[in-house]
Amino acid sequence: MDSSNFENTKAIETKNLTKIYHGGIRAVDDVTFLVQPGEIFGLLGPNGAGKTTMIKMIVTLARPTTGNLRVFGIDASKSPETVRNMLGYVPQSISVDTDLTGYENLLIFSKLSYVDKKQRNGRIKDALEYMGLTDRAKDLVKHYSGGMMRRLEIAQALVNRPRILLLDEPSIGLDPASKMHVWESIKQLKEKFGTTILITTHDMSEADELCDRIAIMSDGKIAALGSPIELKKSVGGDVVTVNLTVAYPSITFPKEIGTIMHSNEKSIQILAENGEIAIPLVSNFFRDQKIAIDSISINKPNLDDVFMKYAKRRLHEEISPHATSARRDFVRHTR
Amino acid sequence: MNIARFLSSAVTVAEMEARKIRHDTTELWIRIVQPALWLIVFGVTFNSIKAMPTGSFSYIQFITPGILAQSVLFIAIFYGITVVWERDVGIITKLLSTPSPRASIVLGKSLSASLRGMFQAVMIFALALALGVKIRLDIPDILGVFAVVILFAMCFSSLSMLLASFMKTRDRMMGIGQALTMPLFFASNAIYPISVMPVWLQYVSKVNPLSYVVDAMRSMLLSGSYENLPIDILALLVATVTFVALASITIKRLLE
Ligand SMILES: Nc1ncnc2c1ncn2[C@@H]1O[C@H](COP(=O)(O)OP(=O)(O)OP(=O)(O)O)[C@@H](O)[C@H]1O
Ligand SMILES: [Mg+2]
Repeated sequence: MDSSNFENTKAIETKNLTKIYHGGIRAVDDVTFLVQPGEIFGLLGPNGAGKTTMIKMIVTLARPTTGNLRVFGIDASKSPETVRNMLGYVPQSISVDTDLTGYENLLIFSKLSYVDKKQRNGRIKDALEYMGLTDRAKDLVKHYSGGMMRRLEIAQALVNRPRILLLDEPSIGLDPASKMHVWESIKQLKEKFGTTILITTHDMSEADELCDRIAIMSDGKIAALGSPIELKKSVGGDVVTVNLTVAYPSITFPKEIGTIMHSNEKSIQILAENGEIAIPLVSNFFRDQKIAIDSISINKPNLDDVFMKYAKRRLHEEISPHATSARRDFVRHTR
Repeated sequence: MNIARFLSSAVTVAEMEARKIRHDTTELWIRIVQPALWLIVFGVTFNSIKAMPTGSFSYIQFITPGILAQSVLFIAIFYGITVVWERDVGIITKLLSTPSPRASIVLGKSLSASLRGMFQAVMIFALALALGVKIRLDIPDILGVFAVVILFAMCFSSLSMLLASFMKTRDRMMGIGQALTMPLFFASNAIYPISVMPVWLQYVSKVNPLSYVVDAMRSMLLSGSYENLPIDILALLVATVTFVALASITIKRLLE
């Protein structure tokens, strides 16, 4: 295929991409972003944010209302078949054919994807093995469990060795072991074959574990984009919580160490850029003040906080600015 | 576009149907009940009272090709329901996300309807022979009948898919199917000769595609006079290509 002269091309490139459904819903609203070849790119966001719509446009199942979409430099609206030839797609809802066997599902799919006849059986065998379905391959899919169907779905997307794998919530309904297995497989695909992966998920630990970069969508727009570390930084630093042995009503605290977010008489929460560095400083400060410390703990922001900050922003704005910080505190406390 | 790939995709979609049928043949057997009733009850009864002016053929001979055409029509016209169902369970999404051209998928689906139609034809042949209906059993005629069955099923199943792209739900397709099959059936020469119809219905019958299909099948199964055959087949072919092409353009609407 077209590999050598596309060294510099982006795996996925969208420019002002907009999808308006009948009834005027702006499912995707003027979105511009890039996915680099070989990266695992996460698309997060609340229900209805437009993640599935975005993926459907990439698979050329939905036509963009306006804007531009290129896959490895190829215009999706001009050459949809060439684009689809580079993709593997795992839809959000189960879509394997339950009236066929697992093997037949892969066979039909590999034929429709024009997998070379000589390689076909090997590929099917590999995909079945990869997803741990070899011993059930000859059973009708309607007798599979939900998680097995999910795994078959992924196997199906792998038989044509896609350059880009689009996974729309691939791990819903998987048990923890299968989920780990799928994560490992995804990482291996990236490492062994340099496959580019676009994944949507509501599981923040999954996104954190897998993704090189993450875009958070909200109301059809990208609200934040960056590596998990960058995103976590952007919600503010680490929270150092100091518990005192006796109540100490008013403390003035040096700004260099951090800012007090929240305090009651015996417990103080300090927002610091780097928790590990802040802890000795905090402890020195309290010793100098002759205030006895019971315990100190750090909480690092995780993707849940990132999600809450960017995805729910509109909801927050509609309530009140105070509610925003209260909610943030709530999130941190309950972590 | 690569013709070999195009055809291989279409055949693969039909293969998918064949494999499904092999796993569960129940539907095929249920589908045979209705034409069997027509032949055994309606056909045999009217045969004995000799109420119809069917010329040199007995009534049951007369309606055997008609019932064959009718039962294939039913399968084809309602094929859109299957496709809507497949849309609902994500199979259409899956098929359309492969690199295979849309038109090859639609063509494959219409071939799938033909596959079911051919099974009907086999069963109706068997039934007719069991009832002692005299039909011509020359190899070329039988092959011709199958060719017409295939084309006819493709034609009306692609029309059905075209309609399904706009109707989008199984209920509506059920309604549309019923609204189409009954008039097509009764305003045709399937179960009575055109000559017994009121004049206005005779005109309707002349533009009714089912009449042409029945006509083609009668010429092969009964009379052996083929002068209308080329026109019948050409008309079917043109309609099939048109409907497949149109349905290929509209099928994506099913996903919206
Ligand atoms: N076929 C459709 N017709 C009309 N509106 C649609 C259609 N599909 C999606 N939408 C609307 O577009 C918006 C985005 O939907 P989409 O499925 O892309 O969200 P999502 O981010 O994938 O959500 P989830 O996390 O729940 O899967 C929603 O408001 C939804 O109602
Ligand atoms: Mg979704």
